[in-house]
Amino acid sequence: MLSGGGGGSGGGGGGAGGGGGAGGGSGGGRSPKPSFVSYVTPEEINLTEKEISRKEKQPDLLQGEVIFCSASPIRKCTQDDFSQRGIFGSLFCTNFRISFISDETQLEEEEGQVFKNKLYGENDIPLTCVDNIYRGFDEKKKLITSGSVRNKYPSKIIIHCKDLRVFQFSLAFAKEEDAKKIFQGIVHHCLEPKSLKCIFAFSYSEKMTFSSENQTKLKTVMFDSMVDWAQEMKRTKGNCKLVSANADFNISTKLPQFFIVPLAVSEEDFTQFQGKGIPIWCWSHHSGCALFKTASLPLMQEDGCSQSYRTYMERMLNAVAQNHLYSVKTEELPETLPTIQDIQQSYNKFKQFFLVDNTTEFWMSDVKWFSSLENSGWLDIIRQCLTKAVEVVECLENENTNVLIMEEEGSDLCCVISSLVQVMLDPHFRTLEGFQSLVQKEWVAGGHHFLDRCNYLHKDKELQSPVFLLFLECVWQLLQQYAPAFQFSETYLTVLSDSVDVSVFSTFLFNSPHHRATTIQPVSLLAQKGPLNLPTVWDWSVQFNSAAQDFFTNPLYVEKSRQDKVPRKTFRPKHQRHQSLPSTAFKSSPKKSFFKDETDSLKKMLRVKRISRWLNPTDLTQSTTREFYEAWQRKPLDYHGLLLPCVDGPALRVWAQRYLRWLPEVQIFGGGAMTLEKKLVDLLAEVRELRGKLDWHCSVDFSHRGAAALAGSSVRLSSAFPFFVSRTWSFKPAIPSCLQKNLITGTFADKEDEDSECLGVI
Amino acid sequence: MLTGSKTTFKVRQLVPDVKGRMQSHGGLHVRGRDHFGLQCLPGECVLQRAVLVRKKLSAAEGGGWLAGTLFCTHFRVAFVAQDSKKPDDSADPVLFGDHDVALASIEKVVAVGPSRTKLVTPSTSLKFTPEELVVYCRDLRVLCFLFDRLTPETQAVEITYAIAKTYQPMKPGSILSFQNSALGSVEMRQFLSNRRQDCHMNWFETAADWEKELERTRAMGWRVSAVNDRFEMATSLPRFNVVPQKVLDTELKKTFAHFNEGRIPRWCWHHPCGSDLLRMASLQNNIYHEKDDIRNLEAIVFGVQQQCVVVDVAEEMPTPADIQLAHTRLRALCLGDISTNASVPDDRWLSTLESTRWLDHTRCCLKKAAEVACLLRERQLSVILQEPEDRDMNCVVSSLVQVMSDPYCRTMLGFQGLIQKEWVMAGHRFLSRANYHRDSDKEEGPIFLLFLDCVWQLWAQRPSRFQFTGDYLLALHDSAHVPLFSTFLFNCQRERSRRSQRLTQSYTPVDGWSEGPPEEASQHPSDPPFPPVWDWALQYSPRRRACFTQPVTQPILAAPAVLNGNLNANPDNHKLNDAVPGSVFLFSRGSFTSPSHLLPWRSGGGVGSYRKSHRRAPSSESLPGLDRLLKAYSLLEVCRTPSSPHDPQEPLLPLLLGPCVGVWKECYLRGALHAQAWAHPSSTSSPFASASTHHPVDQLAQEVQQLRDKLAQVSFSRAASKTNRQQFRRPEANLNRNASSGTFLFSASRPAQVTPRAIPPTSSLPKAPLPKCPITGPAHRDAGKRTFLFGSTPNGRADLRYTPTPSVRLAKNSGSSLKS
Repeated sequence: MLSGGGGGSGGGGGGAGGGGGAGGGSGGGRSPKPSFVSYVTPEEINLTEKEISRKEKQPDLLQGEVIFCSASPIRKCTQDDFSQRGIFGSLFCTNFRISFISDETQLEEEEGQVFKNKLYGENDIPLTCVDNIYRGFDEKKKLITSGSVRNKYPSKIIIHCKDLRVFQFSLAFAKEEDAKKIFQGIVHHCLEPKSLKCIFAFSYSEKMTFSSENQTKLKTVMFDSMVDWAQEMKRTKGNCKLVSANADFNISTKLPQFFIVPLAVSEEDFTQFQGKGIPIWCWSHHSGCALFKTASLPLMQEDGCSQSYRTYMERMLNAVAQNHLYSVKTEELPETLPTIQDIQQSYNKFKQFFLVDNTTEFWMSDVKWFSSLENSGWLDIIRQCLTKAVEVVECLENENTNVLIMEEEGSDLCCVISSLVQVMLDPHFRTLEGFQSLVQKEWVAGGHHFLDRCNYLHKDKELQSPVFLLFLECVWQLLQQYAPAFQFSETYLTVLSDSVDVSVFSTFLFNSPHHRATTIQPVSLLAQKGPLNLPTVWDWSVQFNSAAQDFFTNPLYVEKSRQDKVPRKTFRPKHQRHQSLPSTAFKSSPKKSFFKDETDSLKKMLRVKRISRWLNPTDLTQSTTREFYEAWQRKPLDYHGLLLPCVDGPALRVWAQRYLRWLPEVQIFGGGAMTLEKKLVDLLAEVRELRGKLDWHCSVDFSHRGAAALAGSSVRLSSAFPFFVSRTWSFKPAIPSCLQKNLITGTFADKEDEDSECLGVI
Repeated sequence: MLTGSKTTFKVRQLVPDVKGRMQSHGGLHVRGRDHFGLQCLPGECVLQRAVLVRKKLSAAEGGGWLAGTLFCTHFRVAFVAQDSKKPDDSADPVLFGDHDVALASIEKVVAVGPSRTKLVTPSTSLKFTPEELVVYCRDLRVLCFLFDRLTPETQAVEITYAIAKTYQPMKPGSILSFQNSALGSVEMRQFLSNRRQDCHMNWFETAADWEKELERTRAMGWRVSAVNDRFEMATSLPRFNVVPQKVLDTELKKTFAHFNEGRIPRWCWHHPCGSDLLRMASLQNNIYHEKDDIRNLEAIVFGVQQQCVVVDVAEEMPTPADIQLAHTRLRALCLGDISTNASVPDDRWLSTLESTRWLDHTRCCLKKAAEVACLLRERQLSVILQEPEDRDMNCVVSSLVQVMSDPYCRTMLGFQGLIQKEWVMAGHRFLSRANYHRDSDKEEGPIFLLFLDCVWQLWAQRPSRFQFTGDYLLALHDSAHVPLFSTFLFNCQRERSRRSQRLTQSYTPVDGWSEGPPEEASQHPSDPPFPPVWDWALQYSPRRRACFTQPVTQPILAAPAVLNGNLNANPDNHKLNDAVPGSVFLFSRGSFTSPSHLLPWRSGGGVGSYRKSHRRAPSSESLPGLDRLLKAYSLLEVCRTPSSPHDPQEPLLPLLLGPCVGVWKECYLRGALHAQAWAHPSSTSSPFASASTHHPVDQLAQEVQQLRDKLAQVSFSRAASKTNRQQFRRPEANLNRNASSGTFLFSASRPAQVTPRAIPPTSSLPKAPLPKCPITGPAHRDAGKRTFLFGSTPNGRADLRYTPTPSVRLAKNSGSSLKS
């Protein structure tokens, strides 16, 4: 990576400009009078000296990164609305990011360094990370859509990022043509539809040759070969059939190259409906039952087709049922879970609370904080997903029934539910490597439409939906409730959710394995090289150095000891089995008769929620799940066994690290989860050090480095620790009180009319 | 200490049929203090017991069910785990075991049968054998007992009846009988009368105590006045009050009439930067002000400062009725009721929480206190908290201010002293507000609980700045619901001391705590003596008490500001000259004004000297003040930036925005029957703010502590053996020991009996190198069977969970921490 002399000289040149910027800043602080602020006064004076220093500044370009346009001086405004403060610098738009280079010297390097992203800095916005752009005028803002750009340019643009950062750039000081150019450039590259090849990952990887040993040394199972699937089946002791007929995507472009089906599914079944309706194996429970998912055909079709589809579906269900105990339960996900559009809408509402343009607004929203959170419905969607997953877990764990989850595409909520079920049931997926393999298996190989859902290409807003984020949210809730069970940390999940919006990783770039394969191949033909070697997101060294990667592991995680690994089945108490076994035996008989029953319409058949219990009223679902949940609670908690989330009202929380990290107002300095975690790590290190010393009995070098490290490190931390170090301080006081507001506004009032009434009473 | 006298059983005020049953089960109480593993108090008798009962453990206790025996005695419902340790007969009696609940704090009992649930009252007749017994407590605990199939049916029914008959709704008679049965026995009286007050804590009962506080805070120009020694001037005020030195007692006496209930401005606390905190009731407006009076009033209002700011505490604050309403709603929200089965749907939980307004009230108090704390920090002035009665919100605000500004108040002893000073002595109407006797329904309002919630918010945001833990706050919260402690049983000090017959003594000995317990026997033989709540050993087992304090806190705080408090620490000190002396401001709704009615004698156009100075330049004089206040805030900001270390004078300001304020889950939600997922302590705090716990950290910190001591010992012994190196080794070893004790916050003030959590004496440590995982060692063999009632996971299991295997992970983590 480049770190040339350009940066150094830029830093030197910035010194002069820095003085000007700081002066402007403190001036704003001293007499914060928004009504009288002229946007020209202090800054124009500084303009001339800035002109000189500006030229040498350049962002450190990545491989294959090209600057499209640039402008300076641009003022990056703080979110504080009382003081018109800001930093001057230059704005660049490249094929990867929008980058703001400050004219001031970067003093804060040392602390921020620990958790620095190698690809983009704190003032960089990857193009795919841009969520919305607004034009700001006066106190209002207006959304800019791709078509609406004319020759004009606003004096201020506000950029909302998908990782919830908010940037405000004032273009008023740049030369007119520069400002126009950068504005149109940004809008063009962030909002206009484009082709996949324009995504930065392709130019990045063309120039950057990723050493393939980098890939191989990763322990993450990528599920792109027969061996991976076979091993996974072996690991879970599944008894299914590995199919390689789709290796060249002959059967269906929707299916992965390799997949696993129940033994009873025959070869000719594959081709019948272009791969739809094939039950694809996800995971086997140790009792023998398994979880399958499938893409169902839309139900409204002409009779002939529907008839054949019905018989086909029954054959498939039979095949699934033969897997274990002749029982199967189908779960039509869209019926009980929100649609992807609902998810998108709800998330849009939810994220608004955290995208703060100015802090007063945030303070105002605070009064109705809880109810407005609730109204967004996002937490409720999380709750629904978790509940659904618990239901599926109950079938697998308690009733030993095969479960087939269905969805039209089989790649959105199916992925969410099946991965959640596996996280809850299988401790392997709660390790770092296991979790990555899970995402690889269920999402990447499972054909989740990452490209459409993330809407990198700005083509169809309808398809955009944060489904993967929803999954991460659910995992976060679990992690929050049972932290010692997870090897990865909250920070890991946050970083993963951010990485989705960095258009570098092959993991999130494609709609399906077929899409991926076809996209990569032609490029290799043109370039006369091997297939394009895009980095996966799991290669964390692309983004972070090893010190930062240490934050990914959870210091509380308890590794499984050797003895624990053997008696896996004992964790299920006997009396439970007594309860469930007779009932499953009973269940199999009505179901068999069901399968012979040809007169039922297909629709009805598929709508039956629980075939195993279809004689029972539906609200029994609730109560049995609750019973199961309570029975589970009575047992002592085993961090290497089944984990069920608590979904009660107070239990679901806001992912504070992800959503609140950029808001200085809600950061707890010297407190917070990360501070605690850091302290834990420190203490662990100290314990280790002391143990080592004890073992050696050596009294040489008897210093208190441990204690000193503790003292030094914990002072600076805040609740948003690895992301937002407390270096940025706003002019807002520590207490968000009426005292402050009134004090400040009061001062204005007092200054405006000198004879303030309240003081002149006496 | 109770000498080995075996207990005689006295049955007093028992319902006849209970008495009959007792006699029929006469065999139950013949074995002295130990009945089937239940350690009885002297005079306690077991009414009924049921074997093979399982108690549902809350998630904080580790979840699952604990098998044991359920007892109903005549003042508590007790549960003894099957395999718990045999109680030590010689140990001091503990009122409540880890799983016990006082009868007086039971709110209702619900029996769950095979197909239905029934609320059990004394008149209920059960038509089914209960399978489960759910006990709802006033302190928001919910205990759930499950009868095994092997429990004799009669026992299950009988104990349900016994509990139903003995627990009684709160009314004057029932409280008294409860108090009698708990503390009324001769042995118990004797035992209580032999207990000494904790001398490390400031009780604020004597003049010396107040002097001590003045000295501690380095307040100058104040004196302790005994003018109210016989409660003649103001009945609700304590005997001793701190007033300006320059006001004589004779002058002082004239000022009482000018204030509501005679609650004159009294000194509370001195900020190291030079400001004083005072509190007073509102002024009587209709009184004619004589010239002399005015001089005295001015003197007493200004104290030793030149300027004074009156903060109207009542304004924008909830009234006791509001608080009561909010608390009732919060209870309804948090306690899912099994008998009515009306619980809030999950997706409406947050908005219902918001509509309780409890969090708004918390926020309100914290905000007001934060404002006052900033005012105090800003420059030398007197800040007077004014409330019409000076007995409710003034207590909350003044103590919160001190918790925020004074690190000493964040220690356990300091906090207890603070409550003594600002609540107990200042005359908070505990009795009326708690409404134990159900005779003051209109005045009921859990203001003290609101205060505890506020402190918890502060604690949850920055647990490392406190010496006490959430467990301690929880214990205090629960104790406030047990009507046994003198702290919470009286409305003012006068009542309290009248009850303990101290009025018969004309003089209180000056040397504070050595004051012996009053002779009770002669006065009202029926009334038991009430211990103060601070005698934690009386209530909780040592194991529970060990969780009250953090073993290790950040060493930054090791030196409390007050010890080396430098009066010149205020950077603004030198600028004070321009302040016009004698100006009074009202701080209201976030701005300063000088309304005429603030000091009524000034508005009357009477004496002109102050008025004149005041008129000179009202606006120009006050604006710099505002300006400076602003600057003070920006200074605070600078303090927050990472470059500067913690300023000990920097107030611990709470974050009050929506995402930062949380629900005290360990308290309010521990009873929620289905909300069990917070087994992991790191998720035990507010829903939005950080998960802030001390638990795993504590484990490790303790281990570090032990290892350090061990290491010190080893190195020291080595050094001693090698005489040639002695000169070098010895200081190092000492240094180490100093440093390790330095990691204890306020180690000096820690009383002897709170230390069990701290390091075992070095000499008792094994000589061999520590086992790889010391926590799984023999000391914790039975730990898995024990459980905490309050908020932490059982020791042993927690250890097993949190202790990392010392192999790979340690190596991994060390890298980052050393680099950073």
